[in-house]
Amino acid sequence: MKSLEQLTDSVFYIMAALAQPKHGYAVMSLIEEMTKGAFIIGPATLYTIIKKLLNEQLIMLHDETDSRRKVYVLTDKGRKVLAEDIERRKIMITFAETGLRGESSH
Amino acid sequence: MKKSKYILSNGLAFAEEKDMQMLQLKGTEGWHLKDFALGGYRLEKRECEEVQYSIDYRKLLEDDKHEYFEVFASSGWSHVCSKGDMHIFKAMPGTIPIYSDANSTIDKLSRLARPIYCVTFFFLVTTIILWALMTITDGPIQQISKWIVIFSFVFLIPSLMMVCSIYYKKWKQRIEV
Repeated sequence: MKSLEQLTDSVFYIMAALAQPKHGYAVMSLIEEMTKGAFIIGPATLYTIIKKLLNEQLIMLHDETDSRRKVYVLTDKGRKVLAEDIERRKIMITFAETGLRGESSH
Repeated sequence: MKKSKYILSNGLAFAEEKDMQMLQLKGTEGWHLKDFALGGYRLEKRECEEVQYSIDYRKLLEDDKHEYFEVFASSGWSHVCSKGDMHIFKAMPGTIPIYSDANSTIDKLSRLARPIYCVTFFFLVTTIILWALMTITDGPIQQISKWIVIFSFVFLIPSLMMVCSIYYKKWKQRIEV
């Protein structure tokens, strides 16, 4: 299994959705709603990424009492990784916006 | 009239999409996937219906099954049948694909590949050892090793072809990223 060195868009969205405790299937609908259908995650992709995030301890089970209805939430490590990726993406956006406005950084 | 029939698979390691399209086509003729069968699929006769099929490979613990099928169901993919680590789902045409990015598609191919790599490795080692034995011995041992080499070679070739096919598919996914 490939590890998560740099967050792909799918992983980024799923981690963002899991900043608050949520069921797996609720993640898909939240992402679809928030992006107004522009970004959709397939069920097999979602399940693969959830397993991977658990494995890398970026998310954890929120409540282990009910094993049938699993609720996940970001771990402290997950929050840190997501925050770092937000910064990486902010640099990308700023760079592109500056370029479009025609400003030169020099 | 016959209520059920059998169709042959093209080999999931080679032509998974072809198999799924074949099942979809059969659906429009009123033949719907019921279960896996040896080297193919068992279909049953119902009304004609346009449905699409997708397959996923995953080792599921008893504890994970409910959640796994629920995630698929909530995006419109209902579970049809499973055999071992293979699970087939169906959905209305136009439903989002079960894999939506290249990275997870590559992971899927790796899960499909694992048992194939093991089998290939087994036959490769058997062929090499028995080949050596065949060359250095004579008499009945040489005869026996010769037959085992031929036998394992017959299995080695298709499994090597499967390995190549999976490598090719993974490579194709990577350049699409």
